[in-house]
Amino acid sequence: MVKTSLDRKFDQIKKREEEKSFSIKKRSRIVSKFLNNRLAVVGLIIFTIIILASLFAPLLSPYDPMRVDLRSMRQAPSFDHWFGTDSTGRDVFTRVLFGGRVSIFIGLGSAILSAVVGIAVGCYAGYKGGWIDVIALRISEIFMSFPQIILVLLLVSITGQSLFNLMAIFILTGWGGMYRLARARMLSLREEEYVQALRSFGLSTFTICYKHMLPNALSPIMVNITLSTAMFILTEAGLSFLGLGVPLNIPTWGNILNVAQDILILQNYWWMWGPVGLVISVFVLCVNFIGDGLRDSTDPSQQG
Amino acid sequence: MTTYIAQRLIIFFPMLLVISFLVYSGLELSPGDAVSHMISPELASTITAEQLDAMREAYGLNQSFITRYWIWLTSMVQGDMGYSMAGGVAISEIMIKTVPATLELSMVALFFSTILGCSLGVISALKRGSGTDNSLTVAGMAGVSIPEFFFGLVAILLFAIELKWLPVGGRLMPHYETVWDRIPNIVLPSLVLALMMTAGAMRYARSSMLDVLAREFITTARSKGMPEWRVNILHGFRVALTPVVVLIGFRLPLLIGGSTIIEQVYQWPGIGSMFIRSVRASDYPLVMTISLMYVFVVLTASLIIDVLTALIDPRVRLGKE
Repeated sequence: MVKTSLDRKFDQIKKREEEKSFSIKKRSRIVSKFLNNRLAVVGLIIFTIIILASLFAPLLSPYDPMRVDLRSMRQAPSFDHWFGTDSTGRDVFTRVLFGGRVSIFIGLGSAILSAVVGIAVGCYAGYKGGWIDVIALRISEIFMSFPQIILVLLLVSITGQSLFNLMAIFILTGWGGMYRLARARMLSLREEEYVQALRSFGLSTFTICYKHMLPNALSPIMVNITLSTAMFILTEAGLSFLGLGVPLNIPTWGNILNVAQDILILQNYWWMWGPVGLVISVFVLCVNFIGDGLRDSTDPSQQG
Repeated sequence: MTTYIAQRLIIFFPMLLVISFLVYSGLELSPGDAVSHMISPELASTITAEQLDAMREAYGLNQSFITRYWIWLTSMVQGDMGYSMAGGVAISEIMIKTVPATLELSMVALFFSTILGCSLGVISALKRGSGTDNSLTVAGMAGVSIPEFFFGLVAILLFAIELKWLPVGGRLMPHYETVWDRIPNIVLPSLVLALMMTAGAMRYARSSMLDVLAREFITTARSKGMPEWRVNILHGFRVALTPVVVLIGFRLPLLIGGSTIIEQVYQWPGIGSMFIRSVRASDYPLVMTISLMYVFVVLTASLIIDVLTALIDPRVRLGKE
């Protein structure tokens, strides 16, 4: 019998299986699909590096991010000061590391908390329907008829500036999108047979929608959390750049960039704003790569 | 069709009313009232409580919240927007000065981003899976990841400060008269804004084009022996771009958000930089009016889009909400 190339391939695989040289994959399909996406893996690696670097900032840098040192003002990057120093002699690299803590905390924290609120409301309202659903839908529509940055600025002018206020505002402006996503998933899930079966067992509404239905809606929600993390980090940076975000005494990525509003600094001291802008861009890009990778690996319509 | 439009309108006006009420209540929650903002700090120590009350009464601030809201709303509808706290300028006057500048910037940016986004998206779809497609996708993601103000700053440094090709900011130079003199000022802000918005348009155009290319009438056109470029341009392109053009309207909030910060970076005297200035100065009447105007624009745009989509695609109307 003539062996085709396909047969030969099968033989090879069989041989390798017998030799146990490749074990049967225990990784789930989602993980392996994610790992096959080169951009997502690169994104995840750089994302982890930046997070670890800002978490262990005190170990990586001998300087204090807040300490003013008037003898070393506006120094260009050197071996001592990797990103140079700013107008009051503070080490920019250290400030970027410590700023990352706050910026990432705000971005990730607001994304997760607004997801929690959006999901809590969306699951229940989407499953129950009726007047709760109508009211929640209308409220989310009110929030969504503002352009996001305008609503944030309006709320900042009402509440005043603080770290806590900013996160509260982000949650208030961000839950609507998550709510709509969760609600839409619930609406399609609630007609499934297993849900009807659970209902006929007499399980309580809470158990059905949060314990049995929610896990089936989780993957698009995960994708959305990553994407809104990226968005919140960008919004925080923009607001702080304008001087309307986190109070200026707390180092965040946006607050470090704030100095670039001065045209003299923009022109003469590129290290005070260039590197931090790059770090924000790279970090957000990585988060977007991760989100994209997650979407590709969890979307059932692309399951191969 | 008429019932559909009527339904939309029935939602539109109460929505606007509720939002205006909420925004007005927000103003009420903010610290201080109009009188306390009018008095300079030097006078604050010498003025008596009676004088303050008299002033409040003169401005009608002693009336109930609902009454004041009603007075404000009715005068707003009649076109009287009230006065800014900074300098007491009529808000309608500020609007007349700033809105054209913003419209100018946004329209130019919208124009460039649509053309650029659609053509790149179509190219990307035609060469699906190729190196061009992949690099365009990555470039698109970079476009949504770089903070727009940072991109704007780098552009200023490069083209305005180092190369000195274009002005650093502003809308009109002194002594300049003709339309052509305005062009150097608008190039940088509009291109930066356009590039930031291209990514979204590109993504829509790509998926819409891929969608169309998989349809049967494309296969038919090919089987007739039509040259490939004719199939792509005449059949694919035309059909694919209809939804994309409608989607431009959906990107309006994005355009407004982006233009706000870009206007500030380039000192563009538009509504966005005015809004930021009023937030900084806690000029609540101005903040309130401008944000309501934004809401009005977004709601109107989405109403128009809904109606347009329904006109193009009758299935939208049949599907109940």
